[in-house]
Amino acid sequence: MDARIGIRNTKSILFKSFIIFLAFVVTIPLIIVLLYIIKQGVMQVNWHFLTHVPAPEGEKGGGIANALVGSLLIIGMSSVVAIPVGILAGIYLSENPGTKLAYYSGLCVDILQGVPSIVMGIVVYFWIVKPFGFSAISGSIALAIMMLPIVIRSTEQTLLLLPPSLKEAALSLGVPYHRVILKVIVPCGFAGILSGIILSIARIIGETAPLLFTALGSNYLSFKVTGAMESLPHLIFTYATSPYDDQHDLAWGASFILLMFVLILNIFTKLITRKWKIQL
Amino acid sequence: MRFKNFPTFQPYNLTTIFKIKTMTPLETEIVSLKKELISMWMLVQSQMNKAKEAMVTFDKDLAREVLIKEKRVNSFELKIDRDCENIFALHCPVAIDLRFLLAALKINTNLERIGDIASGIAFYVVESTENFGMKSLESTSLLRMYDEAVNILIDTRIAFEKEDTALARSIFKRDEVLDEINENAPIAVAEIIKEDINNIPEALYILSILRKLERVGDQSKNIAEEIIFYVEAKILKHMDSGKRKIEGE
Amino acid sequence: MENTVVSATKFNAWFGDNHVVKDVSINIEKNQCVAVMGPSGCGKTTFLRCINRMHELIPGATAKGSLKLYSDEVYTMNPIYVRYKIGMVFQRPNPFPNLSIYDNVIAGYKLNGLKVAKADLDNIVQKSLTSAALWNEVKDSLHKKGTFLSGGQQQRLCIARAIAMEPEVILFDEPTSALDPISTSSVEQLFHELKEKYTLIIVTHNMQQAARVSDKTAFFYVGELVEFDDTKQMFTAPKDVRTQNYITGRFS
Repeated sequence: MDARIGIRNTKSILFKSFIIFLAFVVTIPLIIVLLYIIKQGVMQVNWHFLTHVPAPEGEKGGGIANALVGSLLIIGMSSVVAIPVGILAGIYLSENPGTKLAYYSGLCVDILQGVPSIVMGIVVYFWIVKPFGFSAISGSIALAIMMLPIVIRSTEQTLLLLPPSLKEAALSLGVPYHRVILKVIVPCGFAGILSGIILSIARIIGETAPLLFTALGSNYLSFKVTGAMESLPHLIFTYATSPYDDQHDLAWGASFILLMFVLILNIFTKLITRKWKIQL
Repeated sequence: MRFKNFPTFQPYNLTTIFKIKTMTPLETEIVSLKKELISMWMLVQSQMNKAKEAMVTFDKDLAREVLIKEKRVNSFELKIDRDCENIFALHCPVAIDLRFLLAALKINTNLERIGDIASGIAFYVVESTENFGMKSLESTSLLRMYDEAVNILIDTRIAFEKEDTALARSIFKRDEVLDEINENAPIAVAEIIKEDINNIPEALYILSILRKLERVGDQSKNIAEEIIFYVEAKILKHMDSGKRKIEGE
Repeated sequence: MENTVVSATKFNAWFGDNHVVKDVSINIEKNQCVAVMGPSGCGKTTFLRCINRMHELIPGATAKGSLKLYSDEVYTMNPIYVRYKIGMVFQRPNPFPNLSIYDNVIAGYKLNGLKVAKADLDNIVQKSLTSAALWNEVKDSLHKKGTFLSGGQQQRLCIARAIAMEPEVILFDEPTSALDPISTSSVEQLFHELKEKYTLIIVTHNMQQAARVSDKTAFFYVGELVEFDDTKQMFTAPKDVRTQNYITGRFS
C-alpha cells in the first residue's frame, strides 16, 4: 500500500515539475528575440537616426524618419476610422444580443478577424490602388479593417460584463437611452474599451503585407497622405534583404523601435486596466 | 443575599428610559403599552381607595362613583389586550420583549379582577342598609388588611415601573400577612355574631370583604411573579414558600 | 379620493404571451407606506415596474389598463417625466461606480444635463443625504467613490439619489434582501421617516418586514391582487383564506 502511494506522490511531483518547466521554457523565445534585437538595434538609435531619411544606397548614415512619420500617420488615420465605428458596433452588439442582426454581424466580425492580412491588402489594392494609385490612405483603410474586429469584440465583451443594474439605475432616474450609454455605460467600461483599442493598435503596427500593395514605400519624408508613404515594417522588409550593410543597420534599428512600441503599448494596457478599472 | 446576581439589564425601566438613542418602533409601542398599564393601575388603586373610604364613611354616592368607573377599567383591559395582539402580529417579538408582552397580558387580567373586587366592595356599601361599625372593622383587622392590600398593590406598580425585582420578591412575604388575617376571619366574625345576633348581615358583608381582600393579595402576588418572569426569565409560579425562599432570597 | 396618488384600474401586464399581472385595481393614498407581498412569480415586481414604466424596457413586455399618477395616465405621459416623479430603489445597491458620492446623489441632474446652480446642488446633496440618514457618515468624504461604502450605506446612497429628484412616489424593489440585519433595520428606520414626505411602495419577500414598516399591505397571488387592507387587520385577521395560508406559511 505504501509503495503505491509513494509512486503516486512521485508522479504528482514529476507532473508539477514538468508544467513548471514548460512555463519557463515558453519565456525563452521571447527573451532570446528581445535580447538579440536589443543588442543589434539599440546602438543604432540616436537623434540623427530618428530625424533623417535613409541615405542613398551605398552611403553611410541616414535614419528612419520617413518610416516613423509614415507609420504614425497611417496608424493615426486607421484609428480615426476604426475606433468610433468599432466602439459603436460593439455597443450595439452588447445591447441587443439576441437579434438576428447581432448574430450575423457578430459572425462577420469573427470571420473578418481570420482573413489573412495579405488578402486584405490585395482587395484594397484592386478597389482603391488600381483606380487611385498608391497612397497612405489606402494603407490606412486596409489596416482599419483589420483593427475593427478587435475593437468591436473587446468593447462588446467589456460592456457585457457590466451588471444590468447599472443601466436600470440610470434609466430609473429618467435618463434617456443615448445618455445612459454615453454617460454611464461607456465610462464604466472605459478601461476595457481602451485596452481593446491599444491592443488593436499594437497588432496593426507591425503589419507589413497590406502595406506592400497599398502605401508602398518611399525614400522621402512626406506628409502627403494621398501619395505613397514609407512605414516601419515596410522599411525593415526592404532593407533587411538588401545587399548593403548600412541598410541592414537601419533595419535593426527600425526593428528595435518597432519592438519597443509594441512592448510599451502592451505594458501600458496592463497598467491602465489595473489602475483605471472601475470597481464594480 | 443573592440580589447581586440579578441582571442589570432594564430596558423598560420607565425612570431611566430616556436615553440618548432613539427607540425603534417596537420599543416605542412597548413603552406606550407599559404606560397604559400604569394608568390602569392608578385607576384600580384609586378605585380601591375610594371603596375603602366609602366603606368607612358609609358614603353611598362615593360608592356609586366606583361602580360607574368600573366601566373604564374594563375598557382599559380590552384596549391593552388589543394592543398586545397587534404588537405580537406586527413585530413578532422575542426574548425580553416577548416575555414582557406575555406578562402584560396576565397583569392586565389580574388588574381587571382587582378592579372587580373594588367595585364589589362598593356594591356592598350601596346595598347595605346600615353602616359598618368601627368596632367590627377593628376587631377583624379589616382596616389593617385593607391598608396592607393597597400598599402591596402600589408596590407592585412601582416594581413594574422600575423593573425592580427585589421589591417584587418582597411582596410574597407581605401577602402571607394577608393570608393570616384571612385565616382568622371566621373566628373574628363569629365573635361579632355572638355579641349581637342582629349583626349577622354586617358580619357576612365583613367576611366577604375579608375574602375579597385576600384575593387582592393573591392577584398582586401573581403580578409580582409575572414581573420577575419578564425581567429575569425565572418562573416562580406554583412554588411553595420554602422553595421560593431558596430561589429568591 | 382627493388623496389618491397612484391608482390602477383593471391593469394587466404580459411578458410575450405570459399573462403576469391580471386585472389589478388598487388605490394608494398620499404619505402612506404600502407593502406588496406574495410568493415568487406572483407579479408583484412586474406591477411595481409598470408604475414607473420600467416594465416596457424589457423586450416583449406589454401592458394594458389604467394606471394613474394623481389624475394623469402614466402610459400617456412622457416616460422620462414619469421617472422624474416616481423614483425607484433596487434590490442590489447600485451606485454609479465611476462617480463620487456627491455626483451620485445629483446623478439625476447631472446625467440628464439639467442645469442647476452649484450652491443649489450643494443644498440638494446635503438635504438628500440627511433624509437618507447618511449625511453624518459621509460628509467628510463626499468626493470619494461611492463603491467604498458598506452595503447598507450604498443602499441609503441609492435612496438619497432617488430623493434628490424630489419625486412624489418612491418604489422599492426588495430593498433590503441583499443587506445584513443591521443595515436592514437602519433602512427600515428610514421608511418611517420618508413616509412623512413621500409615498412609499415596497415590494418585499419578507413578511415580517411588511408587518413592521407598512401602513397598508397588498397580497398578490398568481398575478391577482387578492387582498389590500390595513396591515394590522391583514396580520391579525385576514379576510381571504389564501392570505391567511401565505402569512402562516401553509403554502405547499
